[in-house]
Amino acid sequence: MIDYLTFALPKGRIMQDSMDLFARIGITCPEMDDPGRKLVFENHDDKLRFMAVRAQDVPTYVEHGCADIGVVGKDTLLEQDRDLYEPLDLQFGYCRLVVAEPKELCQDDDPAGWSNIRVATKYPNVTEKFFAAKGVQVEIIKLYGSIELSPLVGLAERIVDLVSTGGTMRENGLVEVETIAEVTSRLIVNRASLKTKHRRISRLIEELEKVIEDGPRISG
Amino acid sequence: METRLPTGVKDFLPVKAAKLDYLQNTLRSIYHSWGFRPVAPAILEDLSVLELGLGTDLREKTFRFDDRQTGRLVAFPPDITPQVARIAATRMRDMPLPFRLCYNGRVLRHTEQQLGKDRQIYQSGVELIGLSGPEADAEMIAMAVMCLQAVGASGFTIDIGQVEFLRGVLDDLPLDAAQSRDVRTAIAAKDISGLQQKLKGLPLTDRQRDELLALPRLYGGHETLDQARQVITNPASQKALDNLERILKVLTVYGIEEHITLDLGEMRGFDYHSGLIFQGFLSGFGQAVCAGGRYDGLTERYGFAAPATGFAFNLYNLLFALDRVLDERAEEGTDILLFSSGQDKAPAQHLAAVLRSQGYSVARDIIERDQAASLDYARRMHYRYLLVIEPAEEEMILIRTADGENTCVTSAAIGSGQFRI
Repeated sequence: MIDYLTFALPKGRIMQDSMDLFARIGITCPEMDDPGRKLVFENHDDKLRFMAVRAQDVPTYVEHGCADIGVVGKDTLLEQDRDLYEPLDLQFGYCRLVVAEPKELCQDDDPAGWSNIRVATKYPNVTEKFFAAKGVQVEIIKLYGSIELSPLVGLAERIVDLVSTGGTMRENGLVEVETIAEVTSRLIVNRASLKTKHRRISRLIEELEKVIEDGPRISG
Repeated sequence: METRLPTGVKDFLPVKAAKLDYLQNTLRSIYHSWGFRPVAPAILEDLSVLELGLGTDLREKTFRFDDRQTGRLVAFPPDITPQVARIAATRMRDMPLPFRLCYNGRVLRHTEQQLGKDRQIYQSGVELIGLSGPEADAEMIAMAVMCLQAVGASGFTIDIGQVEFLRGVLDDLPLDAAQSRDVRTAIAAKDISGLQQKLKGLPLTDRQRDELLALPRLYGGHETLDQARQVITNPASQKALDNLERILKVLTVYGIEEHITLDLGEMRGFDYHSGLIFQGFLSGFGQAVCAGGRYDGLTERYGFAAPATGFAFNLYNLLFALDRVLDERAEEGTDILLFSSGQDKAPAQHLAAVLRSQGYSVARDIIERDQAASLDYARRMHYRYLLVIEPAEEEMILIRTADGENTCVTSAAIGSGQFRI
């Protein structure tokens, strides 16, 4: 059991991107080709185990040591502020965490003049910290999805959310006014694992670092 | 009736509590074998006194109360080391140095809730006060290794860092408080890309920049020291590396170097740490089970300057990390439950006393019930044997609770000391 290296990966696109990247340093899991409803996949020969979990839960599994290694967006790390190592920027899953508001409000709005505002977001901690650093008092409305809706129906005048292309925001008449952070996927490592399995994990980090520097492989 | 506990604290029932006892006793015997003597600090202190020994890290986590008698604030200690430092610096200052002191006790720390973190922490540790130099630091590490071996840990590592090494790189940088905090946070998370971003545009020399960027990767085995020597060239850090080298040499003499890893970018010591710091990790368990290091300035805050070093185990972490190993090691349960069906209980009471004097643990099943119910109780409550006394019979039946196997014994055999279970 102890010899296994366990990964926690967020279900979906990032899991696929992660496995593609891992494949380039020889880390694979044939069992995953036919996923079905399984949540844990093993590669017995190489003593590797992969768990498919919700993105927001990846840091929890890794911090508690249920997984040695995880892949998660920087946005989740900023929001949760866990005691973890995050040694590598995997450079995929790029997006930005931004403040946005309706176009009409934007025309004669100056962020420097904000003093007391209402913001809807999935990221209450990041939002609070960001505005506190600017000395702006903020009332936060925590939502779990479709954040773009809230200014349209008057729930909040502004939102803090993740954008990749900006399409959804434009279609809902919202404009970005400030960038809080640039977000990419990060490799995170449990503190005890980095010490007790340091040879295996530091080799993995070095190899990943090398293939990331080489740039994305052009496929097909 | 609502009898829920506040979050972050725990009760331990007999099975787990016996394991805690085992850990505590085993660690205490190791401390004793290295010449450490117990101290038992007070459970409350005046906040103003306690705070002398706490940095902002621990101050923010301290539980405080009003003392109704004096109107002053008192505090429940979040850490025992500052208390031992105070005791050494005040009550013991006229005794000859060094002091080798050990303790165990519970501390309280405020933590973020909902993360499954303990507010109640059970520490068992040692403080070596009045000695500087690598041999004293090596003694702490060697003891921590021996403790982990003694309680049955396998696959563990003691991970060593050096506060002065970091200070050599981080002090005197032309950064304001916020920049410095950002840089430290990125180094603590080994976040190289974040660190690169934070350093962009800061007025640093090439050497300063190279040294900072090297810190997140300076961890691993002994080779880490050589890597560090090549990239970190400021005199203070080099001196700290010499010190680490000497400590490792002593550890080689003790034959425990295989358990040692290095992490020169580790920033997680307490505010009072001043030199070597270390943490113990068990494979398969996510958090450190012990932590310690040198704290040369701490006793001076209580008016008595002395170099010092020490460490403490987090017993709850150790318990959860070793839970299965301890199943076999921690003797839990009682040897014999004595059941007597007759009206006259005197023979049973007498026999219980004889068995106890022979070193067995014995309880009387005082409740009136039948033998089957008594056996069931014995099984469920971790008795190894049920001893059944029938009125006016010389022979008694000894039933092993694990499998129900019967043996006959006589009170004569027990009285003459021939009885063995």
